[in-house]
Amino acid sequence: MKIYDLGMTEYEDVLKLQSELLVKRIKGEIQDLLIVTEHKPVITHGRIAEESSIIDKSFLKKNGISVVSTGRGGKITYHAPGQLVIYPIIDLKLKKRDISFYIDVLEKVAVSVLNRIEVPAERFFEKRGIWVENRKIGFIGIAVKKWVTYHGMAVNVNNDITPFGCIDPCGEKNIKVMSVKDYLGHEVEISKVKDIFVEEFAKVMKEEYCSGVTV
Amino acid sequence: MEFRLPEISQDSENTILTLWHVTEGEKVAEGEDIAEVVTDKATFDVPAPRDGILTKIIKREGEKIVSGEVLGIIE
Repeated sequence: MKIYDLGMTEYEDVLKLQSELLVKRIKGEIQDLLIVTEHKPVITHGRIAEESSIIDKSFLKKNGISVVSTGRGGKITYHAPGQLVIYPIIDLKLKKRDISFYIDVLEKVAVSVLNRIEVPAERFFEKRGIWVENRKIGFIGIAVKKWVTYHGMAVNVNNDITPFGCIDPCGEKNIKVMSVKDYLGHEVEISKVKDIFVEEFAKVMKEEYCSGVTV
Repeated sequence: MEFRLPEISQDSENTILTLWHVTEGEKVAEGEDIAEVVTDKATFDVPAPRDGILTKIIKREGEKIVSGEVLGIIE
């Protein structure tokens, strides 16, 4: 699988790139791929986000954090440097036409990655996302067009989680957020986490989809 | 011909029709995205199953739907 390791990016630049790659993947001009990036600070709204999910607009204004509406699923979230973001552009027609199964796969990838770096992450069917000690550390919001996926998942690694206090993350009131740094008490090398993410993504996808067998 | 929401997920209880990309009376082409539905964490563009005219919208924007339910009529 081709990896697009973009480093630090503006959210909207990657949104545009995803749209271009999505069209090419739908046409069969390219193969499945994985975008890996960190975003400069930004709040993003999914398709069912509510305006009331922003509870401190003045903080965002003071810190120059923009708000972008997107076509992904889910509600509101925050991206910043130190948070690892992955956007798989995958043709599910060649795997399994089931969105909840695909979200399960993304969650399993993140749990595997976090467990490998000694963070006891968990996932629960009744509440989506990735959790550590009842605090949310991983966030999912995807979109699917002609059974090709785009958008994806973000995991708090070294980022400052304070700005999450300005929103109701994922539209949920009183939700507590966690990062790898806060759990372990020290920063981790983000390039190492990125490499583990790529490895685990390939491994879990192969296990869950039986190596590309059409279902 | 009735046009139904395809099976998109084992867990489609909280699916909402959020957007019609076309209006009643418009021509649609097979494979063209004509509606958007949203589950808990995903959006999905629903393609037209055949060429024709969307003569009737059955499910309105904002309504809950499940796989197999009729969204509209394409003649």
